[in-house]
Amino acid sequence: MPEEKKALSMKDLKSSDPRWCTGCGDYTILVGLRKFMVNNQLERENTVNVSGIGCSGRIPHYMNTYGIHSLHGRSVPVALGIVLARPDLNVFVHSGDGDSLSIGGNHLMHGIKKNFNCVYLLFDNQIYGLTKNQTSPTTRKGLPTQSQPSGSMLEPINPIHFALGLGASFIASTADWLGTHFVDTLDKAFKHNGFSFVHVAQRCPKFNPAAWDFQESSWITFLTDETHGVANDAKGAPDAKVLAHNPLDFDEAMKKANGVPDIFGVFYKEDKAVYNDLLIQQNDSVEQKSRDSLLDSFII
Amino acid sequence: MAEIKDFRFELLMDAGNGAQKAGDILVKTFAKAGVYVFIEPIIPAEISPPKRTPHSLSGAVIRVSSDEISNIGSYSQFVLVEHEILLDRRCDDLEFDKDAVILMDFGNERRAKEAYENVSKRVLDAGLNLVPFSINDDSEAIIKELNGNGKNMYYLGLLSYFFTVDTSIVEIIIRETFKKLPAEKLEKNINLFHNGYSYASSLKQDRYEFPSLIDESEKVLLDGNTAMSLGIIDSGFKLFAGYPITPASTIMHNLARLLPAYGGTLHQAEDEISAIGTVIGSYFSGVPAITATSGPGLSLKQEFIGLSVSAEIPCVVINVQRGGPSTGLPTRTEQTDLFSAAFGSHGDSPKVVISVANVEDCFYVPHVARYIAEKCRLPVIILSDYMTSSSYRVLDKLTLNKMDDIETIQDFVLDRFFMKRLPDTIEMVKGNQDTPGQTGGMRRVTGLNTNEDGFVEYSSVSNQRSHEIRNQKVHHVKDALLEPESFGSQDGDILIVGWGSTRSVIEESVQKLSEKGLSVGGCHLKIVYPLAPMLKEVFSRYKFVVSIEVAYGDSMKYTPFATLLRSETLVDVRGLIAQATGRPLKPVQVVEKVESFLKENVNA
Ligand SMILES: Cc1ncc(C[n+]2csc(CCOP(=O)(O)OP(=O)(O)O)c2C)c(N)n1
Ligand code: SF4
Ligand SMILES: [Mg+2]
Repeated sequence: MPEEKKALSMKDLKSSDPRWCTGCGDYTILVGLRKFMVNNQLERENTVNVSGIGCSGRIPHYMNTYGIHSLHGRSVPVALGIVLARPDLNVFVHSGDGDSLSIGGNHLMHGIKKNFNCVYLLFDNQIYGLTKNQTSPTTRKGLPTQSQPSGSMLEPINPIHFALGLGASFIASTADWLGTHFVDTLDKAFKHNGFSFVHVAQRCPKFNPAAWDFQESSWITFLTDETHGVANDAKGAPDAKVLAHNPLDFDEAMKKANGVPDIFGVFYKEDKAVYNDLLIQQNDSVEQKSRDSLLDSFII
Repeated sequence: MAEIKDFRFELLMDAGNGAQKAGDILVKTFAKAGVYVFIEPIIPAEISPPKRTPHSLSGAVIRVSSDEISNIGSYSQFVLVEHEILLDRRCDDLEFDKDAVILMDFGNERRAKEAYENVSKRVLDAGLNLVPFSINDDSEAIIKELNGNGKNMYYLGLLSYFFTVDTSIVEIIIRETFKKLPAEKLEKNINLFHNGYSYASSLKQDRYEFPSLIDESEKVLLDGNTAMSLGIIDSGFKLFAGYPITPASTIMHNLARLLPAYGGTLHQAEDEISAIGTVIGSYFSGVPAITATSGPGLSLKQEFIGLSVSAEIPCVVINVQRGGPSTGLPTRTEQTDLFSAAFGSHGDSPKVVISVANVEDCFYVPHVARYIAEKCRLPVIILSDYMTSSSYRVLDKLTLNKMDDIETIQDFVLDRFFMKRLPDTIEMVKGNQDTPGQTGGMRRVTGLNTNEDGFVEYSSVSNQRSHEIRNQKVHHVKDALLEPESFGSQDGDILIVGWGSTRSVIEESVQKLSEKGLSVGGCHLKIVYPLAPMLKEVFSRYKFVVSIEVAYGDSMKYTPFATLLRSETLVDVRGLIAQATGRPLKPVQVVEKVESFLKENVNA
């Protein structure tokens, strides 16, 4: 009789010890990711965590799966290479707000457009963490940083509008400290076929402690929907408001996204052609040839 | 009728008028008669520049020979040109033989009398033979019916007459080429061809005849980029990721049609950075992948090339060199990316650079690049150039390798690049090199320094160890390099060294110089980084060592290849030809330079 496979536990997913600052939201994201993998009993050898550069980029090192810690802003193309080579693998992409929306904006735009199969987590601490406190694309106007000491000058990018505008097929927002809401959101994202865009409010106590007030929850609104949404996380946010939302309604999603960054839940969801599936279909429709005939049409 | 062994001619027309099509048809006709052909298309950098302007110069330079040739030769002996502006523009390139025969269409003379007079004077003053001709009225009428198209077929008729080719074969090839045209239009084109042919005899000019070869072996007609695309398939790559850029794009175009039929995937990326990122993601997951670009794209890929070095993920980048810096000359040739290929990316990022000498090399270089990249788990950069990528050649049908895993690379492929097999095991920085899906092999790769277990480590000992191992990989390649190809005298007064597409120029000029009794050798390198270990010894057998390069150099700046050779051998290598005009080097140019160099330095 074949040996029964041991169930995956939280401990199995540990790798080297994290080196983030105390109180950093990346710790809770790491734990949530492991919990999600355990809940779904995902195979470690068939899971790849891909990241760019930043504090957020360190996640793959701490997950005992396969992983690539790639270049600043360039995790999307690397993830796509993995998906094209091995469409059977579970691919998670981890990227900071600068990594995603500044240096990597073009790749993210095209990752969304291609709608290839992966879960994309945008770790939004509204600051450049690893390079020590510069204004990022999502930094709130007025926040003094090392690069804009008299206060950040411009209005932040709204990541949900960004993803909606580009036609993302799955868009959700959650927060690192929301426990089950975070894990449930990952679950929904993972089960969606295509490029699942998940915005994660992430605490950076070191450089941007005011970005997210995780002790208070009256500022939070949860989008709920019985069939497609994520349950209200009363435990993590007892005073949060709840707003009914149908994630299949694009116009409504655009309107609700005006409330970002104070609003969490599944904004939008749509069945859409997936690039890696399209390529496979296209290749399958071509008559296969033997390399013996490779030069035939060039003979004179 | 003059029998000709080696002849160069050109057809020059406004862009969009089909000069290259006509050239292709003629070349196929020659090839069917067993003659060797080398074609260099002249292509403007813009798509359809206004006609009757110098920017609109387009056409084909064609060299035909009874011997195998792989360069465009020196000067054109025969020119057929559509109008005076193109001729005037082309005169600036100094590509005409001193006795060249120039057939110019005088159809526009009435509208541009003075210009025609000026250009005619320019040509006659240069001692060239100008032969005016025009399109007869019947044909003009047909061209009108074809909305101005078909002039190229009339010209093809003229050329076919002068080069004494079998019109029935040309007709078959025209029919094949234009098989998608409605029958009525096709017949009009054929008529134009025949009209041109019969008109030509009225010009009372000498005809030329090429001896046919009896060689029955199968031949193929390939340009460099097509050969490269086919080589990518033959060497077992399963993913090509690319972003359009001249002159590399045609590799992507070819593979878009071909790769899926051979079990592969073509991915058009959003930019060159993304393309190499996807290659690296694919290779990390165990699927061989490759990308192709030109100068500006190579600059963009440099950061990922460094990740490939550090994370020990193989990757292969083809760089088809064009004129630089910046946008430079997108449709002209140069050999100036040597340093960005060998020393690009930041930090110490050891890699391997392989160049191609000709179309056959383009077919086999993906095999060698894949072999080295996977064996050493590092980036390999292939350097082609505009000249090699876009010129066509007739060659004996290539032997396939049908490579699956890298150990199935055949010896004759490695021999072509003057290298032996690499050692069975090569040490890696990280002990575990498993790919996703392998149970128990879970690992994280990174651009950060790691120890042998693959964990991030900042200690000085560990960092030094990583550098050592990464460099050692390239040393293994160096150890596997055989003495590069040589020509002519094995010792003597002067050695001419070059790399990439100058091979046949070296071969041909050394042969000519040796025939003149001079003590000259030639040396050509394909793998240019690392350099073969015995170069110092080879160089020591000659009084002088000079390089020829399609790259700028002067008395205060050594050319790139000379710089590399100097640092490797401590021999005073100088750029004898250090020119970046956008045009390939000419054998006669090398012959003249070497002769005057020897006169000054040896026989003085
Ligand atoms: C090409 C390049 N430019 C700049 C950097 C420096 N750098 C590292 S992380 C980072 C920004 C990090 O901010 P973010 O993406 O928001 O990630 P966080 O650290 O906040 O998680 C920058 C600019 C780099 N590594 N590579
Ligand atoms: S700087 Fe901020 S984001 Fe980075 S580890 Fe510290 S708390 Fe976390
Ligand atoms: Mg950040």
